Amino acid sequence: MTHEYWKWPESSRVYEDAGWKAPGEATAGVDIGTTSAQAAVMLGGRLLGYSNVRVGADFRKSAKDALDLAMAGTGAAPADLAAIAVTGFAKNSVDFASKAIDEVQCHAKGARFMYGPDVRTLIDMGGQTVKAIRLFDWDRVRDFMIGDKCATGEGRRIEVLCDIMHVGITEIGPKSLEAEKDPEPVSTTCWAFGGTETLGLFGRPEFRSPKMSEAEIYASYLFSIAWRIIGVAGRLSPLDVGKIEIDGTLGLTGGLAKNPGITARIERELGVKAAVSEYDPMLAGAIGAALLAR
Amino acid sequence: MIIAGIDMGICNTKAAIMKDEKIIGRSAVPTGGIDRPQQAQKAYDEALKNAGIAAGDVERVVSTGKGKFDVAFASEHYTETVAAARAAQYALPGATAVMSAGADETLSAALGTTRLIDEFVLNQKCSAGIGAFLEYLGARLELTLEQISNCDGPDAGEMNEGCVVFSELDALSLLNAGAAPEAVMSTANRAAATRAATVLADLTASPGGNVVLIGGLAKNAAFVKALEARLGRSFTIPEDAEYCGAIGAALCSVKGI
Repeated sequence: MTHEYWKWPESSRVYEDAGWKAPGEATAGVDIGTTSAQAAVMLGGRLLGYSNVRVGADFRKSAKDALDLAMAGTGAAPADLAAIAVTGFAKNSVDFASKAIDEVQCHAKGARFMYGPDVRTLIDMGGQTVKAIRLFDWDRVRDFMIGDKCATGEGRRIEVLCDIMHVGITEIGPKSLEAEKDPEPVSTTCWAFGGTETLGLFGRPEFRSPKMSEAEIYASYLFSIAWRIIGVAGRLSPLDVGKIEIDGTLGLTGGLAKNPGITARIERELGVKAAVSEYDPMLAGAIGAALLAR
Repeated sequence: MIIAGIDMGICNTKAAIMKDEKIIGRSAVPTGGIDRPQQAQKAYDEALKNAGIAAGDVERVVSTGKGKFDVAFASEHYTETVAAARAAQYALPGATAVMSAGADETLSAALGTTRLIDEFVLNQKCSAGIGAFLEYLGARLELTLEQISNCDGPDAGEMNEGCVVFSELDALSLLNAGAAPEAVMSTANRAAATRAATVLADLTASPGGNVVLIGGLAKNAAFVKALEARLGRSFTIPEDAEYCGAIGAALCSVKGI
């Protein structure tokens, strides 16, 4: 593999004004997923530091690296924390946490922190799973749906497809929105079919059927993914029979929430605007875990 | 007579320059996205350089592979199956069948005595992408192509053999359960071989004893070993296995289909 179009940027930050004072006050959350790992350090209801990194072959090491990176520059060491909670696909691989919490609870809690108390519908779109979560007005989960097996791996598939299509993973979304009108989506049954069909759309325009521009090819591909994600949200128990309804404010989290080609299409099809946050949408699980750690 | 064959796949484009049915130059460049016509040109230019000849020395350029129509300067286009069949005859006189396993497509063909092909089987939609899957899973497990090829150790556990999406999730679950990356990769190589084996097993014409295996996956020793075990036979693997599509296309142009 000579290309690295799939590599999304890793990040970390310390909020110095959050004011680290003494050991035993802060908590940390680590969200170790199939594809990415995040760590968040919370102090007095504020974010003190975070990290967001790609996961390697060793889940435990990736989780530890994420925590160390989030704490670097905060002036604190992991031993100074009151508690560390871990969530995500590989949470059972982590042995340095005081607690393991399921992903749905953590995302719900984290999304409320990030998008405010009005969020009542949340869609988390990660490397392997899509989770749609409905919340009560208070911080309790009312209902949730996790993507069926054929909706598995969509985030990861975008990484692989970007590499094969030779388009940067942060560019595919904006480029897809340059299409004047969205074409029909490629297969909405299976990500693998959708990928194969998308690859078939490239080639000399005179041999393409239907003839599509580069922007339209990306639009068709991302629309098929947005379609499946909406399908998962549509399986939440209806508030009103027969309608996909977004209750309250919609929050979108996970890696795909950073792809405007996905979010714009979800918003368009559902007819609502998603809430925006000053924080990276990938942090919801880690922030939620940190808030629930104690 | 010098003929150039260009095999444009979804991950790599291979070019071979044949002079009187002997290979005198070859090249491979990564393929992808909207620039496929330029990538075909690059593969061709590099193969010419490798052969030490000029474009003017080449009688014709022919193409095959998923992107065969993107090779704008090719005058003839050959289906992957016939190119594979011609390549097999070239690699092993007396070959009775060919199997080609690449990044996206797996196919097999029983070679005829009075005609080039008696019967052929292509992979079904669900088993597309085997080669690409192994390469990207290997990258995820931090293994090089050479290491992937050596992963034929004990199984890590159960893995779906029907769909690459499910396989990848199973692979990650095994990794999370504590299996070593090499063990997960060994299982993935075997699962891929099981999936690929069906295209040869589904031939109703007898594949006979002399089957040639071509395509990029022929370079994956662990995959080949598992495929041979699964089918209870051995394969002849040409030295230029990944260039065989390009070689076969050039031969089709000389010998017909």
